[in-house]
Amino acid sequence: MLPFRKRLSGWFIARLPRESTCTLNQRRIYLLPTRFGLSLIVVALAVWVGALNYAVSLAYALAFWIAALLLVAVLMAYRQLAGLTLSGARSEPVFAGDAASCRIRLSHEQALERRLCLQRADGEGDIVDCALAPAASLDVGIPQVLAWRGAHPYPDLRVWSEAPFGLIRAFAYVRLDGALLAYPMPLADRDRNDHQEGREPSAAPRPTERDEFSHLSEYQQGDTPRQIAWTVLARRDVLVSKRFAGEPAGAGLRVIAWQDYPAGVDVESRLSRLCWRVLQCERSGQSYCLLLPGARIDPRPFQKEAALSALAAYDGGQPA
Amino acid sequence: MSQDNILRCWPVLAALGVTTVPLLLQLPVWIPLLVLVMLGLRGWMLWAGRALPARWLLLCVLTAAVLVLWLTTKTLVGREGGVALLSLLLGFKAFESASRRDWQVLLALGFFLAGMPLLFDQSPLAAAWLALSLLALTWAMVLLAGAAPKGSLRTAISALLLALPMMLVLFVVMPRLPGPLWSMPHDQKRASTGMSDEMEPGSISQLIQNQEPAFSVVFDGAIPPRPSLYWRMMIFDDFDGRRWQNIRGVTQERMGLSGGDAVNYTLTLRPEKSRLPALEYVEGPSESTRMEPGGVLRLEKEGEELFRYRARSRPQAAYLTDLSLQDQQFYRRLPVGNPQTRLLAERLRLQGGDDAGFVRAALEYFRLGAYRYTLSPPLLDGDEPIDQFLFSTRQGFCEHYASAMAVLARAAGLPARVVVGYQGGEYNPVGRFWQVRSSDAHAWVEVWLPSRQQWLRVDPTAAVAPSRVSEEVTQAIPALAGGGAAGAASANWWRPVRQGWQALSFSWQQWVVGYDASRQQGLYQRLGLGDSVDSAAVTKGVLIGGALACLPLLLLWRRQKGLPPLAEGRARIVGQLARHGIAVRDSDGPLDIINKSRRLPEQEFKQLKRLFKRYSALRYGAAKPDSAQERAWLKEARRFSVTGKHLARGSPPRT
Repeated sequence: MLPFRKRLSGWFIARLPRESTCTLNQRRIYLLPTRFGLSLIVVALAVWVGALNYAVSLAYALAFWIAALLLVAVLMAYRQLAGLTLSGARSEPVFAGDAASCRIRLSHEQALERRLCLQRADGEGDIVDCALAPAASLDVGIPQVLAWRGAHPYPDLRVWSEAPFGLIRAFAYVRLDGALLAYPMPLADRDRNDHQEGREPSAAPRPTERDEFSHLSEYQQGDTPRQIAWTVLARRDVLVSKRFAGEPAGAGLRVIAWQDYPAGVDVESRLSRLCWRVLQCERSGQSYCLLLPGARIDPRPFQKEAALSALAAYDGGQPA
Repeated sequence: MSQDNILRCWPVLAALGVTTVPLLLQLPVWIPLLVLVMLGLRGWMLWAGRALPARWLLLCVLTAAVLVLWLTTKTLVGREGGVALLSLLLGFKAFESASRRDWQVLLALGFFLAGMPLLFDQSPLAAAWLALSLLALTWAMVLLAGAAPKGSLRTAISALLLALPMMLVLFVVMPRLPGPLWSMPHDQKRASTGMSDEMEPGSISQLIQNQEPAFSVVFDGAIPPRPSLYWRMMIFDDFDGRRWQNIRGVTQERMGLSGGDAVNYTLTLRPEKSRLPALEYVEGPSESTRMEPGGVLRLEKEGEELFRYRARSRPQAAYLTDLSLQDQQFYRRLPVGNPQTRLLAERLRLQGGDDAGFVRAALEYFRLGAYRYTLSPPLLDGDEPIDQFLFSTRQGFCEHYASAMAVLARAAGLPARVVVGYQGGEYNPVGRFWQVRSSDAHAWVEVWLPSRQQWLRVDPTAAVAPSRVSEEVTQAIPALAGGGAAGAASANWWRPVRQGWQALSFSWQQWVVGYDASRQQGLYQRLGLGDSVDSAAVTKGVLIGGALACLPLLLLWRRQKGLPPLAEGRARIVGQLARHGIAVRDSDGPLDIINKSRRLPEQEFKQLKRLFKRYSALRYGAAKPDSAQERAWLKEARRFSVTGKHLARGSPPRT
């Protein structure tokens, strides 16, 4: 993008508030002719000059028809964006360094089909092309690489459309106030995982009939068929496993603690290692307990998400 | 190339093809044909997935084509050369188009190309083809922009139709300039349909069969009787024994008219060699015309554009002028030859007595002399063509008679000249105008009578075939009217059709092709926009007209905003409920909404229940949507409103 355009779009964006939902209207939508539109304006002018010079009345009609068509194209391009609602949808967290998909929900109630393009306002990243059926909604993902852990604000977006003629581009800048979460990048820490607990993950105790049912959690490799919640599978078509209260009892509980590392290890590599160990436990079905300064995450439903979020949001003893 | 590319780019090529077609009639045929072949070849290359040819190769072929063009038309500028060059360049551009931007450039050039045939032809048919080209180009534009094929034609048509009123407003309101910005070389090649510069028996006979309209006239008030409609266009003053021509032997002639009522009329035509016909006898030149000696009107500037002028004539007046002796001498010049004719002139002179008597006697001679009016007379190939005509063949049309009459008069010692123009015309009751065609071309004679100092119109053709003057040529000549009853019958049903078409093309000529600065000013005055086309009036016109032209856009906006009836009705009801503190989520079904609305007043709640019962039946019960029922339901749903104010103030919204 040209520096001038960058500054201009920066100015546009700076005026916008962050909002959870935004419906585009005449205050937000900008309209500019595309290069094709400009060339057609030139053609209309040329035909007009020709009409003037040769006194060809029908050529006036042609010139004016092209001009009127451009005006109609302005209106139609405007309609492509007007009434479109954008809101942040649930975006899956990723690990730092990975590309997150910033989910945006596009919806409208008008009875027209829209063809839209979305891109980050700074012009980086891929352009997302989509078609929105009449009175429908659609989730699209804007790829965004999250370089470090923590909560990232949604990128500023530019949404535009050149439909239906490619003559006029209608565009709008949008700042949604959602957040993208990046967990710390996992860093292998095999030694510590093994020497603390002498037991192999495969030796984890199998639940018995007598154990009390605690909760359901995502199916993990190694879960026995008896653990699988078949009724849920039949009803909702997702594979989940039953967890039992007795399962993580006693010696089975592995403690993953901030204090496991000497004071010299810096915060980020600590968090990365802790993250890897949490993932290891989750993968092997090992129950664990994460200890951070000021926070303790015990086995519970959605423990993985809670643990990873705590790691992602860690800010020196005062986890959010 | 991929399927998608074919879908996007073929329409562009097809649209350019449609746009090129009318040029087949206007340019040397090989140029548009070559362009069409190139477009087709490019389409085939897309389909076969061939790579584009190298640029140097293209350049070579292009240079060759332009060279051939230059050799055949001798020019690359001006109307014909310029258009040919542009269309060739366009064809080659297609071979260079790879990216979407290239195709867009090509399409934009196509819009320019669509205007090219208008330089040659502005008939209603050309306008229809222009609309077709525009539709094709717009459709191609929609497809090129990435629309799905289904519904793309609809988008193109609706956009063009929405643009149409705006175009009309701009067409009417935008100021027209009275003259060109720069002058363009005129093509000399243009086929000449009108009068030739000289008259040799036979040269007008080709014209008579030509039914092409020459000009049209609208009279302001009373219309002079048909026999007095002599449209004067040029005079021939020199005879070389075989052919009459104009050598401008007399450069000055004072013209005086006496008697006769004046008529005002407006004449519209495409002037050739700046000649303008005018009803005899025209009082004087109007704006941008001038009078030449001999009482003929001329256009001030060269030009082939449609021209309209007002004139004032006195058909019954006497054309008075005093010829100097020298001028009289000039108008009596006659080459040697035609002895029999000279003898006849002597005899008639004696028979008639004075100069007026001679004219009478000559006309009488033609009337009683077993002469026949025909369009296919025998050739006059002898050494004495006038003698041959007057005494042996005795068949001919206006040229023969006019020529013979003028020679007779000169031989009798009277100054005489041949006048060429049109006689009569056809009144079109639909358009209320007179249409004069090439077939109305006529030649007659003017004899100067020394006794009255007057140029007297003498029409020997009228003496031979009176119906030639009182009726149309087609009636005067049996061969043209079609033989027998069948021909007459076919003429009967055909006539109103033809007149309707003529009236259409007359209004077309007047209001579309001939819509110029003066016509615009008249319309501005009639519409009350202002007395002249100034910036204030144009602004007013654009604003008012623009507002009117936007009405269809508004209608479209409102219509397309609408949801399906059921969804719209539900949204309306939900809106009503929301205003009174009942929040309904999108996921709520009919039962949820009813449950949430229990605190509505009794009557409204009942209505709501009824509405949603039918909603459920229509939405979920029907096997197939019943749009009539749905609309009826929507009508009812629109009437639903919660009137009780107490609700709004009552409990806070529960969400």
